[in-house]
Amino acid sequence: MASSWGREITAIFRKELASELRTKTGLMTSGLFSIVSVVAVAFATINKRTDPTTAAALFWIVLLFSSIVSLPRTFTIEEELGTGDLLRLMARPHAVFWGKMLFNLGLLILTAVILSTLFFLFARVSVASPWLFVGSMMGACASLAGGVTLAGALVAQASNRGALAGAIAIPLLLPLTVVGIAALRVAFGEPGATVGARDALGLGCYGAISMAIGPYLYAAVWKS
Amino acid sequence: MLEVQGLGKRYGDRWLFRNLSFSLGKGDALVVLGRNGAGKSTLLKMVAGLVSPSEGTVSLGVADSRSDLGMAALDMALYPALTLIEHLRLAGELRGCEPRAEELLESVGLSDSARLVTSKISTGMKARLKLALAIQPEPGVLILDEPGAGLDEAGVALVERVCAEHKVRGALVLATNDGREKRLGNLELEL
Repeated sequence: MASSWGREITAIFRKELASELRTKTGLMTSGLFSIVSVVAVAFATINKRTDPTTAAALFWIVLLFSSIVSLPRTFTIEEELGTGDLLRLMARPHAVFWGKMLFNLGLLILTAVILSTLFFLFARVSVASPWLFVGSMMGACASLAGGVTLAGALVAQASNRGALAGAIAIPLLLPLTVVGIAALRVAFGEPGATVGARDALGLGCYGAISMAIGPYLYAAVWKS
Repeated sequence: MLEVQGLGKRYGDRWLFRNLSFSLGKGDALVVLGRNGAGKSTLLKMVAGLVSPSEGTVSLGVADSRSDLGMAALDMALYPALTLIEHLRLAGELRGCEPRAEELLESVGLSDSARLVTSKISTGMKARLKLALAIQPEPGVLILDEPGAGLDEAGVALVERVCAEHKVRGALVLATNDGREKRLGNLELEL
């Protein structure tokens, strides 16, 4: 039977999904973080309408940290459980990266939907440009899934992976934060629809680039 | 099928072993012996390509190590949230070989536990599943690290049967501290 990339990537995705459905670790981590953060924001801004810039920054910070606490786990857990050798014997690095990255993207989209719902219900934030908001969210999910997955993949086999993940995440995610907040600020009511659309597109491009180069970087550290 | 030339592994200033050379062909079975910490598991992982050598080379005469090399090791963990049958299906899909999940579980005596997650099974059952995963692609080179550890008498007999069947097909490398497992090989290497 000939092997194919599609089947291998699907197999990794299904493995992650089955593990997540049984343990619910990723969803509980990012979901609970989102709920607690939105409740905190709601209390802090009670009886006040949050201006677009502050709302965009708060929203982005919650989404960013929701992804940071859950997404790199798909790689680091392999070394913590001791399953890394089994995976390296069976799989190719590109398939592992893509399977895990697609799983992370799905998890992040679900988190973003939950977070958006909670944010609009409890934090008194309104969307002035729904299409730009949706575009920004799509770009944010793609770029964060690509960037955070890449950071997790690169540090997974390091002994001090916790500290290293933070050090790698800063240069990878800081540009995203700046562009992401700029796009969301416009979606929440600041003027500048063209600039907002350009920033949302920039997020998407960042995601596409991370997803394209990620497997090659991961392959370089695969058996080190 | 397997050629090792001048292999050595160093951690810091200390050499775990140096200048190891051997060559295995079809039907050869090398038993690696040595005290705890001598480097048996490290040597096997280097042969499997999981650990980089500090010096020397390992040449596997196989086209694709995923489907032509099988390995079962004591310290190799299984996915705790996946069932036994899911492990074999996953491995088959990733290696591009027929999963033969039911057939392999039957052959290692785990048919009744196929739907259990591996966090709910015993150490001996995990060792049997690892053996099934190692032989799944019918590899040319089979590497077994302490294969009898944690196994009952029937399990030890299973290891002997797997080794005997494999020697017809390819080369075997086995590391052990159990003197009884020496008879599984025709060549010995003391570290």
